[in-house]
Parts: sequence; C-alpha cells; structure tokens
Amino acid sequence: MGGAFSQLVMLGSSGMLVTALIVLWRKGVPAYITAYRWQSWLLAALTATVGYYGDGQLYWVAGLLLGLKGVAIPALLRTMQRRFGTEREAAPYVNTEVSLLIASVLVVFAYLLGRPWMAVTQLPTRQGLPLAMSVLFVSLFIIVSRKKAITQVIGFLMLENAIALLAVVGTFGVPFLVEFGVFLDALMGFLVMQIFIYHIHDTFDTLDVDALARLRH
Amino acid sequence: MSLILAVLLAPPLGASSLAILVRPYQRFVGWVSTIGVALSLAASIALCTTVMGAGPQQEAVPATALWRVDALSALLALCVTFVALVAMLLGRRAGHPDREELARTRYFWIFTNAFVFTMLIAVTIQNVALMWVAIEATTITSAMVIPLTRTKASVEASWKYLLICSVGIALAFAGTVLAYFDFVATAGEVPGALNWTVLRGAAPSLHPALLQLAFAFLLIGYGTKAGLAPMHTWLPDAHAEAPSLVSALMSGVLLAVAMYAIGRWKAVVDAAVDSSFTNRLLMGFGVVSVVIGTFSLVIQRHYKRMLAYSSVEHMGLVSIGLALGPLGAFAALLHTMNHAVAKSLSFLAAGRILHRYDTTEIGKVTGLLRVMPWTGALFAIGILALVGLPPFGLFVSEFLLVRAAVVTGRFWVAGLVLVLLLTAFTSLVHHLNRMLYGEPPPAVTIGERRGWSVTVLAVSVGVLIVLGVTLPRPVAALITQSVRGVIP
Repeated sequence: MGGAFSQLVMLGSSGMLVTALIVLWRKGVPAYITAYRWQSWLLAALTATVGYYGDGQLYWVAGLLLGLKGVAIPALLRTMQRRFGTEREAAPYVNTEVSLLIASVLVVFAYLLGRPWMAVTQLPTRQGLPLAMSVLFVSLFIIVSRKKAITQVIGFLMLENAIALLAVVGTFGVPFLVEFGVFLDALMGFLVMQIFIYHIHDTFDTLDVDALARLRH
Repeated sequence: MSLILAVLLAPPLGASSLAILVRPYQRFVGWVSTIGVALSLAASIALCTTVMGAGPQQEAVPATALWRVDALSALLALCVTFVALVAMLLGRRAGHPDREELARTRYFWIFTNAFVFTMLIAVTIQNVALMWVAIEATTITSAMVIPLTRTKASVEASWKYLLICSVGIALAFAGTVLAYFDFVATAGEVPGALNWTVLRGAAPSLHPALLQLAFAFLLIGYGTKAGLAPMHTWLPDAHAEAPSLVSALMSGVLLAVAMYAIGRWKAVVDAAVDSSFTNRLLMGFGVVSVVIGTFSLVIQRHYKRMLAYSSVEHMGLVSIGLALGPLGAFAALLHTMNHAVAKSLSFLAAGRILHRYDTTEIGKVTGLLRVMPWTGALFAIGILALVGLPPFGLFVSEFLLVRAAVVTGRFWVAGLVLVLLLTAFTSLVHHLNRMLYGEPPPAVTIGERRGWSVTVLAVSVGVLIVLGVTLPRPVAALITQSVRGVIP
C-alpha cells in the first residue's frame, strides 16, 4: 500500500467533488447528467482501486456501481430529459457566484469536521474522507438551492454517491449484504422518483418545484 | 422463536405478492391481507410473551444472528400489527367496482402490505445497516400510496415526502457508515460488526468524538423520518394528503419506528460517550417539536393537518421522554403505544368524516354529532385522548413524563411541557367543538348506521381506556424490559 494508492484515492475523490461543483455553475440539465455520469465512473474506478489494494470483493461492488449508476441511471435520466425538452435551470434560488462561494465554505467546513477522525485512523485512504464529506454537503446544497425536480433528483443521486465514497474510503466498503440492500433501495428510490417526476409533469405542466407551493398550513 | 418470526413477517409479504399476481383485483386479496395481518398480530403477541418468559438474561443472541428480538422489538411489532389490522379492517371494503377503482385498490394493497412488511423488518432485524435499508424502503412503499387519487395537492405532498425523507435517511446512512468506520478503525473487520449487540458491546472502546458526529447524523436523519422539528416540514402535507388508512399507519407507527432507530443508536452512543450528550440533543429537538407542533395546532384550519401537527407534538414528547433517563424512557415507550392507538383511531374516523363531508376544512364540517353520531363520537374520543384527558392512556404517559422531568430535577422542562399541553388542549378542543355542533351543511346526508367499522374503532377506544385506567401488569412488564433496549 504505497503512496500511489493514496494519491489515486485523493485524485478520484477530488474529481468527484469537481463533478458535483459542475452542477452549481452549469445551467442545462444535460450537463448535470454528464456530470453525474462522470462522478459515478470515478466512484466505480475508485472502488475498484480500493479493491485492488484491499478487499477483492469490492470488484463486484465496482461492477454494480458502473452498471447501475454509471450506465443505467444516466440513461434513464436522459430519456426523461429528452421527453421534457430542454427546460433549463433558469433562476435557481441562489445564483452561481454565491453558490460557488457557499460551496467553498462547505468544503472548509467538511475539513474541519473531519479533523477528529483523520486523527484516529492510519488508513492510506484517509485523505478521501473530508472530500467525501464535502461532496455530501455540496449535494445537499444542490438539493435545497435548485428549483427543477430533475436537478433535485440529480442532487440526491450525488448525495448517494458521496455516501458510497465515504463507505469505500473509510471502511473499505460495508459488508456485501448491506451494499446490496443499499443498491436495491437506491434503484427503487430512483425509479419511484422518476415516476413522481412524470406525475409532477402531468399534473403541473412544469418541473419547477416553485409551482408546488399549494400546501401551506 | 424463528417460527413466530416467520408467522410475523410472512403474511404481509405474501399478501403483497398475491396482490401483485392477482390481476385484475379480486375482493379476496383484501380479505387475505386482513387475515394475514391478524396472524401477524397473533405472532407479535406470542413474541411478547416469549420475550418476557425468557427474561432479560436470555436476550443474548449469537453475534452473527440475522434477527434479534427483544422486548423493545416485540413492543414495536405489536403496535405496528395492531394499527395495521385496525386500518385494514376499515379499508377492506373494495369501493365501487369500476375499472379504475379496482386498479387503484390493487395498487393500494400491494404497497400497504409491503409498507407493513418493511416496518416489521425494521424492528426485528439485528444489523443496523439493514435496519436502515428497511426504513428507507418504508419511505418508498408509503410514498407510492399517497397519491392514490392523483390531485395537485397529493402529488406535491408525496414529492416533498419522498425527497425530504430520502435525503434525511441518506444522512442517517452516513451516520451508520461513520460509526462502522469507527468500529473498523478500532477492532478491525469482524463478522457481524454492524450488528447492534456487537456494536453496543464494543462501544466503550470506540472514539467518542467520532461517535458523537455519527449520532448527530443519525439523529438528523432518522429524526427527519420521525417528524422531529425543524425537519418535520413534509409531515403535515403527507399525512393530510394520504388516504386515511395510510395516514393512520404513517402517523401511528411509522414515526414510532423511526424513533425506535434513534433509541437503538442512543443505547450504542451512550455506552461510549456520557449519556448527557445524546440527552441534550434529544431534549433540544423534542422541545422544539413540541413548541412548533403545539403552535401550529392553534392556527390549523384543516382537521387532517391538525392531526398531523399533533403527531409532531407527540413525537417531541417521546423524544423528551427518551432524554429523561429510565423513568422518562418508560413514559416515552408507553406514550408511543398510546399514541399509535389514539392517532390511528382519529385518522380513521377523520377519513370517514372526509368521505361524508367531502372537505378537510374544519369550518365546513358542522353538526358532526347529528350527521354521523357514531363516527363523531369516536372522533371526539380520539381527540380527547390525544389531548391527554383521563381515562385514556395518554393521560398516564404524559403524567409519567412530567413526573420523570420533575424527579430528574428538570423543572423548566416539566413546566414548559405542562404549559404547551394546556395550549394544545384548548386549541384542539376549540376546533373539535366547531366540528361537533352547529347546523349541518344542507348537502350532507344525515344519519349513520352502527356498522362494522364503528365496532372495530370501538375496540381501539377500549384499548385506550384499559391502558389509561389500569396499566395491565404484562404491558408494564414488557415496557420495563424494553427500557433496557434504550437505556444501558
């Protein structure tokens, strides 16, 4: 387990953070889908790397990740996006400049939060931990600051990626049974969200969640 | 034990699969589901007696066992199956036989059974990560039934529910991973490392700082699902827009299942960190929830939303109870049980009111006692039980809660809770009065037969009175033993 391993993990995790940030400064849904696909591929590659240096079982997980999050979900997202045309994320609740500033604050916060646990572990992958937290916080921010239902779903998917990253770099993967259950939930959750996006589009004629403000008190 | 577990879990799973396979919907599917849940209820009663017969010493299970049933699990399983049975008995009649209605009924049974199944898995499984998987699955299955009749409001409510709860629950998974990370960093990879018993046993050697961070994530995550303020924003919408049978399940027991997960993790974290840490957090969220729940009750104009906000308030009380040591935990668990019965009763009665008046506005429902004498009375009983009037069970548990606060020297908590309970009391009774009396609207048919549904709901009332007048010895023993699952 040499320096190369840690370097690779660091590189992959940083790449995942960058793909999350892309969502904050690009405006079109196709760009978000591409960013998500890149992120999933990076995650799969990282998982395989950790599998190479550590537990061989992670190859299976990497394969599943690539198939589900790298290919299947982006394809479904594309179909959905094509069907609804190019609705752009016209005016998010927070504009691009402020979004990026907030994102940088979140990354710093993640590093601060990560300090106690950087101290308790000697894992070669520990550099990835605060980065995983950063991706987590940035995805949360995407969900709360963007208006299109489809963008929110992509934010949610990125949040899931962040947690998968956390599991891989922190613990070299959770037990396979758990991993499998999480996959199943992720898939089901995504499919149900997809159904609801169609429902929203049918009933409201838009994917802008601003229109969803009927229920107050 | 494993046979009982099989009888507990198999019927809802089987009924769900049956509903998927039988197409178009046939009436017998509803019957099979209802009988199945009755079987599950019998199994959960058997679980309770087995667990109590074994006593606390025999609770130890092999570290690698998949299932782990102690008194706390049995208690929750009992609540889930009881509420499910009452709800299904009321919803069993398959509406009008037109095509669309049949498709909807089929859909309803598929997901309601799956919903019950996932809740039962969540409370009996030993692995905390698989418990997470089951709780996440409850979100998916219940979100599918909310927009059964697709309106703008129901689509909006279910979208909010799905998104907010999925995000919240994802954070809970991050917390689980953090705790596991801590475990692996200390003890290395051990089979069954995510099992609750193993975690709890190893907790004293784990790193407190890391576990604290993990608990913060877990509390926010599962707290979102449990409807603790300020993460409760999805709750009033989802509970008000869901079909009443589903509202009864969501409000009565789903929130309790999420609180169960918090309680389990509290026991682990308390073994590593001084318990004042988790207590402070639970107390904070609890007080905020009770305050927000109570004041939202005052301004409510819709009766189903009113019931939903009352759930926020009650979950706040449970959270406060969990923060008050063994006495408080006893009160909290008893309160969970009482709340499950009273809230499901109220929601089911509210569903019947909605069916007759075709409005959810309090102002448009007048003369309820003349229009629907039986349902009106049952609804009134449900509300009076929820505000904590004797002779109903919630009076006892709220009294015990306040006493626990006084005994542990937290007078301000006791005082605040009393003031807020009084506020909730006045506003709920005020809303109730407006509904019960007055001239009925001209369009509404007057009169009601005492039917099957009324008898079923009367059983709930009976349970509430029994729990309030004489807390039966077996129930008290079961709860006392359950407290060990939450407090070390």
